[in-house]
Amino acid sequence: MPDEVLLRLEGLTKSFGGLKVVDDVSFEVRRGARLGLIGPNGAGKTTVFNLISGVYPIDAGAITLDGRAIATLPPRDRVLAGLARSFQNIRLMPHLSAVENVMLGQHARASGLGALLTPISWMPRGRWRREAEALLAEAGLDIDPGEVVSALPYGIRKKIEVVRALASRPKLLLLDEPAAGLNPAETAELARFLRAIATTGTALLVVEHDMGFVNEVCENVVVLNFGRRIFAGTMADARLDPTVREAYLGAEEDPAHAA
Amino acid sequence: MSASAPLVRGAHPLAISAGVALAAICCIALLAMLPGGATLAQQIVSGLMLGGIYVTVAVAFTLTIGVLNFLNFTIPTMFMLTGMVAWGLARWGLPFGLSGGLHWALALLGGIIVSIAASLVVERFTFRYLKTRHGDATEHAIPLVSSLGFLLIFEHLVLIVLGSEAQSFPVRFRLDWHLGPLVLGLPQLASLLLSLGIVFWLSWLLTSTRTGRALRSIAESPDTATLLGVEVTRIVPIVFLLSGLLCGVAGALFVVNYSDVSPFMGEHVGTKAIAAMVLGGLGSIWGAIAGGLLVGLMETLGIHFFGGDAAQVVVWSALLAAIVLRPQGLFGGTRIGKGKL
Amino acid sequence: MSGYWAGILAILAINIIFAYGIFVTAAAGQLNLGGAGFMAIGAYAAAVLGEQLGWSPALTVPAATLVTALVGFAIAFPVLRTRGVYMVLATFAFAHVVTGVILTQPALGGAMGLVVPDYVDLPVLIGAAIATTLLVFWLMATRLGLAMRALHDDELVSTLMGVPARAVQVASFAIGAGLAGLAGGLYAHHFSFVEAQYFSALLSIYVLLFVLIGGTQTAWGPLVGATFFTVVPELLRIGGSWRYVVFGAIIVAMMMFRPEGIVTRTLLARIGFRRRRVADAR
Repeated sequence: MPDEVLLRLEGLTKSFGGLKVVDDVSFEVRRGARLGLIGPNGAGKTTVFNLISGVYPIDAGAITLDGRAIATLPPRDRVLAGLARSFQNIRLMPHLSAVENVMLGQHARASGLGALLTPISWMPRGRWRREAEALLAEAGLDIDPGEVVSALPYGIRKKIEVVRALASRPKLLLLDEPAAGLNPAETAELARFLRAIATTGTALLVVEHDMGFVNEVCENVVVLNFGRRIFAGTMADARLDPTVREAYLGAEEDPAHAA
Repeated sequence: MSASAPLVRGAHPLAISAGVALAAICCIALLAMLPGGATLAQQIVSGLMLGGIYVTVAVAFTLTIGVLNFLNFTIPTMFMLTGMVAWGLARWGLPFGLSGGLHWALALLGGIIVSIAASLVVERFTFRYLKTRHGDATEHAIPLVSSLGFLLIFEHLVLIVLGSEAQSFPVRFRLDWHLGPLVLGLPQLASLLLSLGIVFWLSWLLTSTRTGRALRSIAESPDTATLLGVEVTRIVPIVFLLSGLLCGVAGALFVVNYSDVSPFMGEHVGTKAIAAMVLGGLGSIWGAIAGGLLVGLMETLGIHFFGGDAAQVVVWSALLAAIVLRPQGLFGGTRIGKGKL
Repeated sequence: MSGYWAGILAILAINIIFAYGIFVTAAAGQLNLGGAGFMAIGAYAAAVLGEQLGWSPALTVPAATLVTALVGFAIAFPVLRTRGVYMVLATFAFAHVVTGVILTQPALGGAMGLVVPDYVDLPVLIGAAIATTLLVFWLMATRLGLAMRALHDDELVSTLMGVPARAVQVASFAIGAGLAGLAGGLYAHHFSFVEAQYFSALLSIYVLLFVLIGGTQTAWGPLVGATFFTVVPELLRIGGSWRYVVFGAIIVAMMMFRPEGIVTRTLLARIGFRRRRVADAR
């Protein structure tokens, strides 16, 4: 039986210049779980994502994905190991269409010279394209899949990024503020979509400031402040924890009243 | 630009340069006194003189890249414009028959003015329109491509108006100073000193004046510079003005020393100046000085030992190797200006 | 067809192939300012193989393409370690090294040039141009082409999607070099003479410029760019140096107002390629 723990971070540490941005952070994400990573601005949440996905090398600590130590793997290999992510500032390929961005996400699964050299753009009924379009539809995106993304509105692009990350059928999905800038209707729909994803077995690690959203989507939370982990547990318990309240009140946010 | 490679390094550069120059002079003198060393010493001297021209143009390149992250391919064209326009003015005088053939000094001045004007035209139509859109891989090259467009415009306008023949500028100084076995052309020596003088003046400008500090802050970080109140839109044209001036001076000195002008003189000098800039380190003025002299030496000694064409291969191969193996050159930092404004 | 227009068409065909060579690397995010160097390698390879080994063009041209692609492959590793303006300079320097070496080798004709045996006629050029066009359209339609275009837009994120950035960049550089070599080999056999002075820095500049004018987002770009550069001045009867003044002015204007080039994906969409909504796919 596979290990219950999918992602394990142990003693993760990273400094930039003299500043310790991530300080001895440890937590776990279980298979199929939905975990929120929250904390005031500047707490180091995006940096943790960047360390997990391999944008920066770690200074100290260990990262294990599905039993495999990935901290020394190049970013590409971490994707192949089952990791995918979205970005705080949308980083879609502006000159590619919606469906092409999603098909890019499939790249990790489409290995081999044959897959690389089939003219997928000429095969609208081809398996990869239909899968990509289906993913877009499931996310509730009623758009022309051939539309170049630079022309699409913000909310839609945000969702396309999540769909792109999903296209690699990851074991673990890192989502960096997926609801930022979305209106209440879009936010609710995204929450529904993410819960649906999790039922298929993909684990979610979500960074968010919208506490209502976190409450909707995540079972548990890990709270960071100034790069350190100050709490891990349920959302309800987090609201009552004095260290957490202090962290947020200090940053003009009270988790009990946010969202 | 990272803090490790400012446009100008501190620590009494004048003292260091004076020391280096003195040491070089002693070495050359020693070499000249050795049996059979005179020819080599003469070649070295010629190489340094040629290098002086390259220094000035290389500094123009490196200043633009250091502050604006912009490889301005119009720079060698401005060098050529100075020479060709000066020749045209000396030969025919002002356009529309406003005067007869100008005195050589006025003609050179006219050439320099045209160079500066051309530079400001380039600024008006390239840099001011630059908006960082997506930050993709080829976007940095937009002003570079524009400068290539201007290169074509200026070069072919010169071909149309002034013809494609190589010409001789009417005045050429020949005043040789015989120093033992060595022959120093005084005009060439004067040019070398003038080039270096202008470059030292430029580095003084960058370190000690308000405008200079504004330029360096833009090189460091254009966003911070704007936050600190630097009027970027007024300072940027100064870079173009300075590079136009440098090219003009280099062109004028070249013409006075070697007398040959042609619509293609920009290409010959420009490519060496780029090599000089890279060898010295993009964005470093001292690097441009060292690089310019080095390239002058390499070219002259290369021609002496291997012949003209082979020398070109040597210089270009050295450049390619430098870019691949040590892109930061002698004095450059690992990053050049982020000046995408 | 009159001899005059046949000549234009021949140059157009060669320019299209050359343009695709530069396009392939530009579409992947790298600017090659040394195109003429690769074309020279192809031209001289074809010339030497035809002259020394007596091979017919049916052999020399593919061989020239392969040789140039291999050189491109070899040079890609050091050059792709550089970035941005350094890469532009490295390719620029490389082209000069190539012509410099040619000029100093008497075996390659030095400054006198080489006569090339076996004439290749217009239909062959047109056929090669069509084949190249189809090849590049196909390449851009594949997952490899998608990876290349993604690298152009955002290399870091592409890597995070699992794209092997270095491998794709080397491949696009080598393919581009090969196509430039193909253009060179065909040029050699059609004009029956090659000299290093033709493969100048200006030639590298021209081809890069008209590829950028055409647009690097889609495979239609090089067709538009090459046609624009080769045919339009003829149609407008602009001769000699004025042609380049106008060309330069258009470059400046394009960089100011439409740096992505004439043909963009949004333009193609507006011209009216079929639009489907996601719902139709089910």
